[in-house]
Amino acid sequence: MRRREFIRRSGAALLAASPVTRVMGPHLRRRASWFLVPMDDAQSDHLKAYGVTYRLLQRGGRAEWLLNYRHGSFLMPADAATRRDAALAGVTVEPMDDGRVTEIRGEIAASNMDAIPLEKAPKVAVYAPPNAAPWDDAVTMALQYAGIEFGKVWDEEVLRQGLADYDWLHLHHEDFTGQYSKFFLNYAGAPWLMEMVDRNQRMARKLGFPSVPAEKRAVAQAIAAYVERGGFLFAMCTATETLDLALASDGVDIAAVYADESPMDPNASNKMDWSRALAFRDARLELRPTVSQFSDIDGHQVNAPERRQPLGSFTLFNFSAKIDPVPAMLVQNHRAVIPDFYGLTTSFTRRTLKPGVTVLAEEPGAPWVKYIHGERGQGTWTFLGGHDPEDPQHQIGDPPTDLSLHPHSPGYRLILNNVLFPAAKKKELKT
Amino acid sequence: MRRRGVARLAALSIAVCGASVGASPGLAQQDPLTRAFDLERRGDYVAAVDAYRAVLARRPSEVSAILGLERSLVPLNRLPEIIPAVRAALAAAPVPAAPSLAPVYAAGIRAWAAAGEPDSLRRLAERWVQVSPRDELPYREWGAALLPHDRPGAKQVYLLGRERLARPEALAAELAQLALLEEDYPTALREWVAAIRKLPGYQPSAVGALQGAPSRIRPELLRLLERDGSREARRLAAELSVRWGDAVGGFRLLRSTLGTGPSEDREALHRFIESLRGVGTREAMRAQAMALEALAERSPEAQASRQRVEAAHLYSESGDRDAARRMLAGVADDRAGGSGAASAAAALVSLLLEEGKPEEAERRLAAAAGTIPADERDALARRIARGWIRQGRLDRAAQAVARDSSVDGLALQGRIRLYRGDLAGARRQWQAAGPFAGSREEATERAMLLATLQTIEADSLPELGEALLAAERGDTAAAVAGLERVAGELDPVAGGAELRLMAGRMEAARRRNVDAERLLRSAAIERAPATAAAAELELGRLLISLDRREEAVEVLEHLVLEHPQSALVPQARRLLDVARGAVPRT
Repeated sequence: MRRREFIRRSGAALLAASPVTRVMGPHLRRRASWFLVPMDDAQSDHLKAYGVTYRLLQRGGRAEWLLNYRHGSFLMPADAATRRDAALAGVTVEPMDDGRVTEIRGEIAASNMDAIPLEKAPKVAVYAPPNAAPWDDAVTMALQYAGIEFGKVWDEEVLRQGLADYDWLHLHHEDFTGQYSKFFLNYAGAPWLMEMVDRNQRMARKLGFPSVPAEKRAVAQAIAAYVERGGFLFAMCTATETLDLALASDGVDIAAVYADESPMDPNASNKMDWSRALAFRDARLELRPTVSQFSDIDGHQVNAPERRQPLGSFTLFNFSAKIDPVPAMLVQNHRAVIPDFYGLTTSFTRRTLKPGVTVLAEEPGAPWVKYIHGERGQGTWTFLGGHDPEDPQHQIGDPPTDLSLHPHSPGYRLILNNVLFPAAKKKELKT
Repeated sequence: MRRRGVARLAALSIAVCGASVGASPGLAQQDPLTRAFDLERRGDYVAAVDAYRAVLARRPSEVSAILGLERSLVPLNRLPEIIPAVRAALAAAPVPAAPSLAPVYAAGIRAWAAAGEPDSLRRLAERWVQVSPRDELPYREWGAALLPHDRPGAKQVYLLGRERLARPEALAAELAQLALLEEDYPTALREWVAAIRKLPGYQPSAVGALQGAPSRIRPELLRLLERDGSREARRLAAELSVRWGDAVGGFRLLRSTLGTGPSEDREALHRFIESLRGVGTREAMRAQAMALEALAERSPEAQASRQRVEAAHLYSESGDRDAARRMLAGVADDRAGGSGAASAAAALVSLLLEEGKPEEAERRLAAAAGTIPADERDALARRIARGWIRQGRLDRAAQAVARDSSVDGLALQGRIRLYRGDLAGARRQWQAAGPFAGSREEATERAMLLATLQTIEADSLPELGEALLAAERGDTAAAVAGLERVAGELDPVAGGAELRLMAGRMEAARRRNVDAERLLRSAAIERAPATAAAAELELGRLLISLDRREEAVEVLEHLVLEHPQSALVPQARRLLDVARGAVPRT
């Protein structure tokens, strides 16, 4: 309390001594020179708030991410462009004068909070086939809704070094084992599946691979190399699990006969090389080609009726903003407990996590976690289980989620935390 | 008596004690199996495997334990390890042909398949066949185990089964599904017909499986069914025709199969009607109506009336008004028809109004007035008044609702006054009617009209009434011209801008985009801010529909920034998202 009072007084004294204040006198001291974008329940559109911040960075401006201050608020200069952008987006901003900002800084210094400078709008790539409907992918929907620009890449771009142009790569429900999410037998004849198979087979042929599983493995390896070189990877749903399965299965046939014309190695689980994987180890593979599950990495097994687990809710960890700013950034939220949601991969069993993986969110008491993070070489990866935070029982053919109906979605906030995280100034990344 | 009671009590106590003493070892024996189930449910498959094995060591033919062991070994990728347990179970069984052993044989077959040992698989399957020579199940499991890796082998097994069982329809469903995997639709079709002949319950599966056949071979499949000619084939053809877009043709096929017996006919018709529910095309509604009519001919009178009324609605919606009128007139004229007759009379009045015959509708309503409940009669009278309005006969309309003092009646009387140009009278009647009269759409439209009237200072404007009546009668061109003329004579703040906005909306609705844009822009003036916000919202919507998204963004941004207090700002933000492509198109 005394410390906070001291900082407030000393801050006010410094402000009074600043050249601008001296020239303009008390008039300017009352003028708003900052906007605080609150991220607690005062915010009218949490998701678009990320867009307002991103576009400020895109215009060459600077902002600060106030970790744990009012659930991860943003502080930015009160310029006309930001005022206009926020008004158009319906984002709540609170005008602040320098004195109030100094008070906030004092509070941050004295608590488990920190101010992280954001200085560069990251270049975002979404991995998706060229004609994929944008609405079946939670990240694409979040980016579109928030108004954050992104490019699309697919196998050809990934394998031809196209990722070098991007700071941040997102994967969603791609099956990197090359088995078409194992829908091949259950959805035989469905036009969307036939198109998916045809598109993937043509791409594999074009790139000179003998089969789709072989080509997807090469793509997975290129993505791992991108992370190794310093890229930021964020993956959801099946992409998390199958990326690691593809990486660990080099030289092992883990694909069903329909995918590569040779049966899966029945002893594949014992032959995997987990040192190549990013997050997982010692998983056991699902051998049945008709069950749309890949391994026991996923705790919920939504498509294996005899093993399917009900949805609960997951809890975000509260990290130290000053010591662990990276995980702290990734979990900024106005809700600490979030209802769970299914995906082909919904969660990650604790048993299969590599040592050193940071758990960002878990279901207390359950043998699985929801949200994990780790490093590889110069880069980092973050995995979030599940398909769509606002459509917990998502089925093929369901209508797309309209995010204007969920502007406060805490699940979607987790996705957008990941988009802004690469914008943070490097020296602040302590972990 | 009392002694006998004591003796009974003693006997009961002994029996209870005996039962509990006797139950103790039983419970103790069940414990390992319960524990194994619990371990499996918790996902601890390794421990579950040990627990199930412990059960099987004591009771080798315990089928639940064999199946539990199989379920636990599958996720561990260790299914072949079940083989010794299967062998022990079969060796320990006192009667090798016992039906309860079927799951054990099946588990063994799956295990040998997982182990990749087809010879052992065959030996076990043949052993099962030996003990159950009349049963399809061994072949079904044997084929299913081969199917994922060896489709020709699976087919051979099914055909072998059919030959040995000497039943041409044996394993037909399996062969049908196999043929589908090979995209051999004619064979699949023949097998499904055989399967349905054996068990009619296969029909929905057959339809579900065959409906995805490529369009180019559908005519051939229908020809094959026609050639087969059996009732099963024609019923399958009927349902497939529906799925392939020829609902009326489907009904004709179904009709050709009727006559086997009222109960079976009714069931077939019911199934056909259900298969069409929710399809929503005119063709489907017509076929559904035809089926309902046929069903009514086979139903008791009370049900038949309801079915005919429903058929009439469907005929009407499908555009076959003659058939609808035929159905309804039949029921309405039936004096013994009770509530069915009243409902038919009401439907007939509605139909006549839709056909623009208020005079005839009025006559029908008068004839049936005694049988129709008062509320419904008033509602129909209001619909007749609307019918007269659509013909421009305001005097007859006013006469039809003259005695109606309900809020809906007052609302309609207000509308008639409006069309006569009596703005003060319309305002008075609508205020008396309140905001909730009529349907939600009517109430919203009335509120919007009232808001417009309140900006106009004049009490009487016959030219405005004529313009609005023209709109009601569907003559939008005359309505727009009239509205623009009146707007030109009014101050923009005193209704001029509002009338231009109204005219702009009408032009936009009939896709006269240039005029719509001109009118909406002329309504969006700073002097009338409430109208300006609404006009900009409409303009934004129009520009998006014309794919002039950048212009739409500009207009909508202007709305949000210049009218931040407007209640339309949330809608404008949503439209901005649409213009920027951030809202999914469903």
